[in-house]
Amino acid sequence: MEPGQMIRGADAVIKVLAAHGVTTVFGYPGGAIMPIYDALYGSPVEHLLSRHEQGAAFAAVGYARASGKTGVCFATSGPGATNLITSLADALLDSVPVVAITGQVSTAVIGTDAFQEIDVLGMSLSCTKHSFMVTDVNDLIPTLYQAFEIAASGRPGPVLVDIPKDIQIAHLEYRTPLLAVTNEPQAEMSDIDAARALLAQAKQPMLYVGGGVGMAGAVDQLRDFINTTGMPSVATLKGLGSIAHGTPGYLGMLGMHGGKAANLAVQDCDLLVVAGARFDDRVTGRLATFANKAKVIHLDIDAAELGKLRQPDVAIAGDLRQIFPALAMSLNITPWQVEVEHLVRKHQWDYQHPGSLIYAPAMLRRLANKLPEDSVVCCDVGQHQMWVAQHMWFRRPEDHLSSAGLGTMGFGLPAAIGAQVARPDATVVTVSGDGSFMMNVQELTTIKRRKLPVKILLIDNQKLGMVKQWQQLFFEARYSETDLSDNPDFVLLASAFDIPGRTIFSSDEVEEALTEMLAAKGPYLLHVAIDDAFNVWPLVPPGASNSDMMDEMEKQT
Amino acid sequence: MIHSLKLTVQQRPEVIERVLRVTRHRGFTVTQMQMRMNDDASLSLDMEVDSERAIELLSNQLNKLIDVTQCMVLLPLNLQQQKVHA
Repeated sequence: MEPGQMIRGADAVIKVLAAHGVTTVFGYPGGAIMPIYDALYGSPVEHLLSRHEQGAAFAAVGYARASGKTGVCFATSGPGATNLITSLADALLDSVPVVAITGQVSTAVIGTDAFQEIDVLGMSLSCTKHSFMVTDVNDLIPTLYQAFEIAASGRPGPVLVDIPKDIQIAHLEYRTPLLAVTNEPQAEMSDIDAARALLAQAKQPMLYVGGGVGMAGAVDQLRDFINTTGMPSVATLKGLGSIAHGTPGYLGMLGMHGGKAANLAVQDCDLLVVAGARFDDRVTGRLATFANKAKVIHLDIDAAELGKLRQPDVAIAGDLRQIFPALAMSLNITPWQVEVEHLVRKHQWDYQHPGSLIYAPAMLRRLANKLPEDSVVCCDVGQHQMWVAQHMWFRRPEDHLSSAGLGTMGFGLPAAIGAQVARPDATVVTVSGDGSFMMNVQELTTIKRRKLPVKILLIDNQKLGMVKQWQQLFFEARYSETDLSDNPDFVLLASAFDIPGRTIFSSDEVEEALTEMLAAKGPYLLHVAIDDAFNVWPLVPPGASNSDMMDEMEKQT
Repeated sequence: MIHSLKLTVQQRPEVIERVLRVTRHRGFTVTQMQMRMNDDASLSLDMEVDSERAIELLSNQLNKLIDVTQCMVLLPLNLQQQKVHA
């Protein structure tokens, strides 16, 4: 482009995306964003058309989480923007870098209740890390640059940029702005020393790893830290994959549906090292009794998490890539390691399930063992999500995409689309339930349109299973609105989108059906009929301590 | 308990909404508020808030807002006086 040449605001948007290395945008066009879609036409930035803006934004989330890059989505004003909100809230609670660009009615009619006008900036305040409305075309490029910087820096999150239509068609000279780089917090040496002193004294230390480790790109440093210290460890839902499968002393997920060994070891520890995690209520159970004999070292890039729910003895706000090496030291904790190994052996999962019914935990374990090295597993929300977390294993945190903080049903299918676009050579499997699957089922068209080889493992108990489980346990088996026995024929439904599939009912079909699904060149739906009597165990009842887990035997008594 | 906050924020049309939203959502009630426009494109905002929660739960969240350049918690009046006497 010649210096001094004027271009439309809409063209500048696409140029800024290209300058940030964005190759794919997820979105849905409409009136107030038409100039941007016009600029997109024939541009090197590829656009993936979703069939609902929530699907577009979840695809951007899936793209970001599977690749570590910032995901980008487009929507028009009014309903386009309101449809994005759930996915942005999801990205906020799971700290996912996303830039959402919405069209807005022209500045002259903002505030007149114009057609498809809603106060998107106002709506965005509670579901984004930050948001902008551009009201001067000269602010457009610096604002977009700032949006990318804010989305990915510090604790990542979604940023929304609302662009009125007159700004999109106004002309400006394209200039790359000079941007102040965000200052990340630096760990204090005195805090590092204090943490090392606690580590040296600890006899029963535990490491509690959250999603922040993967988001910080600190997985290698974490693994070195575990190797050096020999510290037993647990992970949150978002932390799964950070610690290598098979690491001695690694007890899997803790919390409401965590393993017994994981919860008991944490309850028994004398030092809890919390890395990139935030004492979520699904992790801690009753907070006052959570690891109540332990001193706490809390490590996080977000200083606001330190002391939010549990007062730490040492708090370090900073980059985990630097903190882990600074804290690594060899520890003399052999008796504790032996005790933890004993817990592991005592509370191993039991996959022996005689009979012809398909036992979903065993099937998912089998699937994990069969997946190739480059794989991504997405899931929706509910019983199947907890079975995935309990029984599958992952090589890296970016290989497991689960809506953790917001717990959004309908996440899995569009997230898998984003993951498959980000990692075209990976085997992408979305594990869903019959309730969740229907929430964004329209995205099957997106799979068809791009011939994306996403594999769908649909676990069907004809129930809204997790709600039904709670009704059974805590609401006197009054099954209010959780029967889904009028589900559609899922294989027939998939075939309407040119997606082949089959249904299995019996445990002796599982191995061959999983093989067939993974061998399919294109998309595939494996519909698995399970009995609705299977629940997720163990379970920490609401308000109880993590020491008081219910398991299936207790339910029957 | 009443706490006093002194904020410096960037002059953006929605900045007061952001501050008030976070204040409400984190469990604090505004009991008094005063705002001044400064010459350097910033706003000064003095607030008194009431809550049983520790004030750091609010000040840490306000500090995270991109448009908040400074958030100071003033010591309660009785402590300030004690400091002067000491």
